[in-house]
Amino acid sequence: MGGNLLMTAQRRKQRTALLLLLPALVIVLIFFGLPTIFMARMSFNLHPDQRLFVPGFTFEHYAALLSNPVFTGAIWTTVKLAVMASFATVVIGYAFALIVWLKPPRWRLLLIGVALCPLLISEIAIIFGWWMFFPKNGLLSYALHSLGLVNDKISLMYTEFAAFVGLIYVTLPYCFFILLSIFDGIDRRMIEASADLGAPPLTTLREVLLPLTWTGLLVAFSQSFIWTMGTYATPSALGPDTLWTVGYLIQEQMLGKHNWPLAAALSMVLVLGVAAVMVLTRSLMPKRASYHV
Amino acid sequence: MTERTALELENVRRCFGSVVAVDDVSLAVAPGEFVTLLGPSGSGKTSTLRLIGGFEELDAGAIRIKGERIDHLPPYRRDTATIFQSGALFPHKTVAENVAYGLRMRKVERPERDERIRQALDIVRLQGYEDRYPSQLSGGQKQRVALARSLAVRPAILLFDEPLSALDLSLRLQLRGEIKRLHDELKFSAIYVTHDQSEAMAMSSRVAVMNKGRIEQVDRPEKIFHDPANEFVFTFIGESCCLLVRCSGTDVTDRNGQAIALSLRDSLPEGDSRLYIRPSRLKLAAEAQGLPNGLTATIHFIEFLGDVHRYHLKAGALEVFADHAGAIGHDVGALIDVGWRSEDMRVFR
Repeated sequence: MGGNLLMTAQRRKQRTALLLLLPALVIVLIFFGLPTIFMARMSFNLHPDQRLFVPGFTFEHYAALLSNPVFTGAIWTTVKLAVMASFATVVIGYAFALIVWLKPPRWRLLLIGVALCPLLISEIAIIFGWWMFFPKNGLLSYALHSLGLVNDKISLMYTEFAAFVGLIYVTLPYCFFILLSIFDGIDRRMIEASADLGAPPLTTLREVLLPLTWTGLLVAFSQSFIWTMGTYATPSALGPDTLWTVGYLIQEQMLGKHNWPLAAALSMVLVLGVAAVMVLTRSLMPKRASYHV
Repeated sequence: MTERTALELENVRRCFGSVVAVDDVSLAVAPGEFVTLLGPSGSGKTSTLRLIGGFEELDAGAIRIKGERIDHLPPYRRDTATIFQSGALFPHKTVAENVAYGLRMRKVERPERDERIRQALDIVRLQGYEDRYPSQLSGGQKQRVALARSLAVRPAILLFDEPLSALDLSLRLQLRGEIKRLHDELKFSAIYVTHDQSEAMAMSSRVAVMNKGRIEQVDRPEKIFHDPANEFVFTFIGESCCLLVRCSGTDVTDRNGQAIALSLRDSLPEGDSRLYIRPSRLKLAAEAQGLPNGLTATIHFIEFLGDVHRYHLKAGALEVFADHAGAIGHDVGALIDVGWRSEDMRVFR
């Protein structure tokens, strides 16, 4: 009898949890799940002529992705660029978040304000900003030239480097805020305790701060990776014409070549790439979920 | 050669903007001595401790450990170990790894390191907890790990930063006894910061009472209690009643000029004075007969405090309270005689 009561109580608890979860679940399924399923279906449709697509079922688009060097090259470029930019973003974001965390509170608001700025400007406006910065008669060239670091004016516009910098700039604020929130959960006395026991700053970073922020680092990395994988405008506008990313190819197939199934197949590659990174970072997270109890 | 002092502070000063947190503090701790910095919050006791640990920078003065100046060194080069209020255990390391940390930093090699970890956990009675994480420990256990972690490195001086203030009363009393026992056994040198005077009295070889960044008095606990150097120490240590009186000629009145039935053996100086007496030294009713000093007052209200009844009395604008074991049979509103010995009273002007 008592056991029965306990069972019902537990079952009721589970049902409450499910009910509380339901609205979010419905939204996620309708707005994110359904479109993805439609897209997956689209990627198997036929594309025999100039029509956008013809309903049917074929693997030919996926086969093209794996065999056509243009597509494999683009996938490779995208992944490479995303990995590099994410690494750089996480390193810079980590350093910046660490500084903000360590600084006295009166600096905090100012520095957070600075970090918020890029989020207030649209990606397109930021790209225009880079157009003032990178070209031969731009700010960077002028600065380097007047400092005497280069003899001739230089242009970094339309280089992979410009695309790389542009991508970092887009994702840095998100990365910074993720890491700052993780730092804020750490007792600052931890650093003092470490120093007190004889650890120099770099040892404290390695022994105490990195392990305590590891989960945040992984989350920040996957966040950056997802952004940089999918971003289309920044690398297309700042990189060289030969910088074909998956985002660029989707746009080309969609709007230029009117090949919706192939565009959908390329999109599925992005989805799978993101999913792979999520699984990877998840597996690198410590099994003990939270230390801050 | 044995060292004369474990730690020496010489005219130490620390300002935060225009606020002087630590003002010209000098203090010497002998090897094996347990010195407590006692004071209200904001008195500079924690700042003093943080200066010793190296977490704050000195504005003036010198700090020496075993005779050598260390105030220019970063915390990780100082031979001190702090027990923080929060414990500050590394949450991602096990109990054994936490205790090992300082030993690893000091390059203590494997067999000895393990032995010292075992010893340290033995001392704080946490054998068998080596593989637990801090989140699996109770508050008291955490503080004991923090203690073991600091003891294991055998520093020249241990620094306690209110380590018990986050714990509940019974645990606090228990750990207080344990720290005292450890000090008696191991004879480590320590500076202990607290605002809890019973803690200071119970554990210390000497107590330094701090106020507004300065040390008001440094002495053995009994001396601090029985022979306070000044008004601040008298009022801060233990409980006391303050009688604000005015004296003109032979008349003694309260501050408003109203006459009060106060008789003293020694006459007061002309003008305003503050008389301090501990409530436990005030005798009531029949017990007050024959004492050299006396006051007749009305019972304002009575509190039952367990061991004693506390009588709150009023005479004019004077308010005093006296502790008496058991009730005395007078009710609120009744007039009652209060008496005390001259040596139990202190007069400040």
